[in-house]
Amino acid sequence: MKLIACTEGHSSKIEAFSLEMIAAARSIAQAGDEVVAFFAGRDAEGASASFGAADRLIVARATKLDVIPAETYAVLLRDVVTAESPGLVLVPYSANGLDVAADIAARTGWPLISYVNEIKRHGESLTIVAQMYGGKVLADCEVQLPAILMINPGAFAEAAPGPIAAASVQTIDAEPTLASGKVRMVAIDVPDYADVDLTTAERIVCVGRGIGDEASIDLARNLATMLGAEIAGSRPVVDNGWLPKLRQVGKSGQKVKPKLYLALGVSGAPEHLEGMSQADLIIAVNTDPKAPIFNVAHYGATCDLFDLVANLSDRLRAGSGR
Amino acid sequence: MNILVVLRMIPDSAGELQLAEDGRSIDREWLDFQLNDFDDHALEEAILLKEAGGAKVTAVAVGEGTNRVLQMAAARGADEVVALQAEEDAMISSREIAASIAAMARAKSADLVLCGVQSSEDVFGQLAPYVGALLDWPHVSGTNRIVANGAVLRVTQERGAGVAVTYELATPAVLGVQTASKAPRYVSGSKLREASKTPIGRAAPESSGFERSAEIITLRLPVQGGSGENLGGDAETVADRLVSILAAKGLARN
Ligand SMILES: Cc1cc2nc3c(=O)[nH]c(=O)nc-3n(C[C@H](O)[C@H](O)[C@H](O)COP(=O)(O)OP(=O)(O)OC[C@H]3O[C@@H](n4cnc5c(N)ncnc54)[C@H](O)[C@@H]3O)c2cc1C
Repeated sequence: MKLIACTEGHSSKIEAFSLEMIAAARSIAQAGDEVVAFFAGRDAEGASASFGAADRLIVARATKLDVIPAETYAVLLRDVVTAESPGLVLVPYSANGLDVAADIAARTGWPLISYVNEIKRHGESLTIVAQMYGGKVLADCEVQLPAILMINPGAFAEAAPGPIAAASVQTIDAEPTLASGKVRMVAIDVPDYADVDLTTAERIVCVGRGIGDEASIDLARNLATMLGAEIAGSRPVVDNGWLPKLRQVGKSGQKVKPKLYLALGVSGAPEHLEGMSQADLIIAVNTDPKAPIFNVAHYGATCDLFDLVANLSDRLRAGSGR
Repeated sequence: MNILVVLRMIPDSAGELQLAEDGRSIDREWLDFQLNDFDDHALEEAILLKEAGGAKVTAVAVGEGTNRVLQMAAARGADEVVALQAEEDAMISSREIAASIAAMARAKSADLVLCGVQSSEDVFGQLAPYVGALLDWPHVSGTNRIVANGAVLRVTQERGAGVAVTYELATPAVLGVQTASKAPRYVSGSKLREASKTPIGRAAPESSGFERSAEIITLRLPVQGGSGENLGGDAETVADRLVSILAAKGLARN
């Protein structure tokens, strides 16, 4: 059986989760199976230099664009699926994967399971653990092959990066498909990190929707100042315009690894955890004892965040003699 | 432009979720259902497009409490509202409803289908790419800005690390909205009362057309807590403990 691991890279950077897709495929590959990595993008060299853990690499090479529209990625992948008849296609849960996985599922008619954390193989079927309801519920699923899985970043440890033999690399030209694509890329906006770079912050105080309103952000900001920490927010806080986009932590925000991460009123959805679960010390305050943030917290408290902020601020102020 | 926007009612994940006796679903009896947040943004984007360039907006809702949400959609500016019938007390699988949405897009001569980028019940796949593929229309998910210039759409998509990519595509298209260009508007009680007279159409579901699908065998709640320590719920005690924990790790400032 062939297993296709979908990989990605932008500009000249291979996404770390690409190696996780290869590792996920490897973890269930049996003797005689073949793990085929699929890459579409400009950094064909980067892919060849990194995906040695796969048995074979198919590169759809672009020459101009930094970001391949998902529509084009899906068309290219569809051709690969038709040519290779794999038993399993593994797609990362990424901005690109969100458009690719169900597109391929609809066009092949194959089953799809999303938000996958664990995979076990039993011959021609798989049992899968997937997340639902913002990580509050786990679903044990069963699926017959061939099938498609969309895998949570961070669920599998990265395969060791290393070069793949040139003889195992097959290159196709992505340009004609890009040229005839229905979705055209017109601009990329990369934020200016001069003001704030959470990825290098040592201490972060992150507020979630539990903070309630914009005015209350100041309470958390004052606490952050006392702790020498940067203030950050979950996605709804940023979407509401209460904090700037550069201060968003998570899947579509920054991936951070500070020494201290204090989460106030953050539920801990998978997309948030993706950005912060590697922090050295995670302290979570949430009135809901079942909030998934407690699954990654080193210390958790179920008191009201406003009570905690007031009490902690008092003690820190007293401690510093101010 | 004809816009079809999809509104899915999902269990309030902030509330407590309990498992049903069959072990395969959540107990829906006492749950609060609310509009999927991302669908709320899709509705807002549809109304913003209508205000910017003129459009007819049809809202189709599915799940528990559709009448209430469709009245809200009408109050916000939807021109036509339709309830899509669905199996009662069952989760809303985007894979299952995609064919119905695609059929409705055709029936309403839609140029644009908008829905939220995901929902908490779309474990078998996301709606926008399913509908896009079934119609063979281009689809882009994770949008935070949509601008229409005649039949040409300019959409901005969020990628990681704050990077945003802008694409151009022609209608007909399907877009999975992450965030509307502006926060969803508030509607006043009087507008809601006025909108309560809007007739609600009914649509019968189509068969999904998929012969094979994955299956949920059991649902379970994750083992709580991991290896973390629970400091309890008393703010004063918690604050005392945190001060000493931070001090011990050299993290209290100076
Ligand atoms: C493609 C994609 C990308 C995404 N990217 C990101 C991302 O980058 N970052 C991100 O954060 N999310 C992201 N999300 C959204 C994510 O799925 C969640 O919706 C989001 O993380 C929820 O934010 P929250 O925890 O602040 O809000 P909620 O889930 O609403 O949680 C609020 C919490 O506050 C608690 N609370 C309320 N009041 C109090 C109080 N007084 N004291 C203490 N606790 C209280 C509640 O119990 C609740 O748990 C993304 C989603 C998608 C689909």
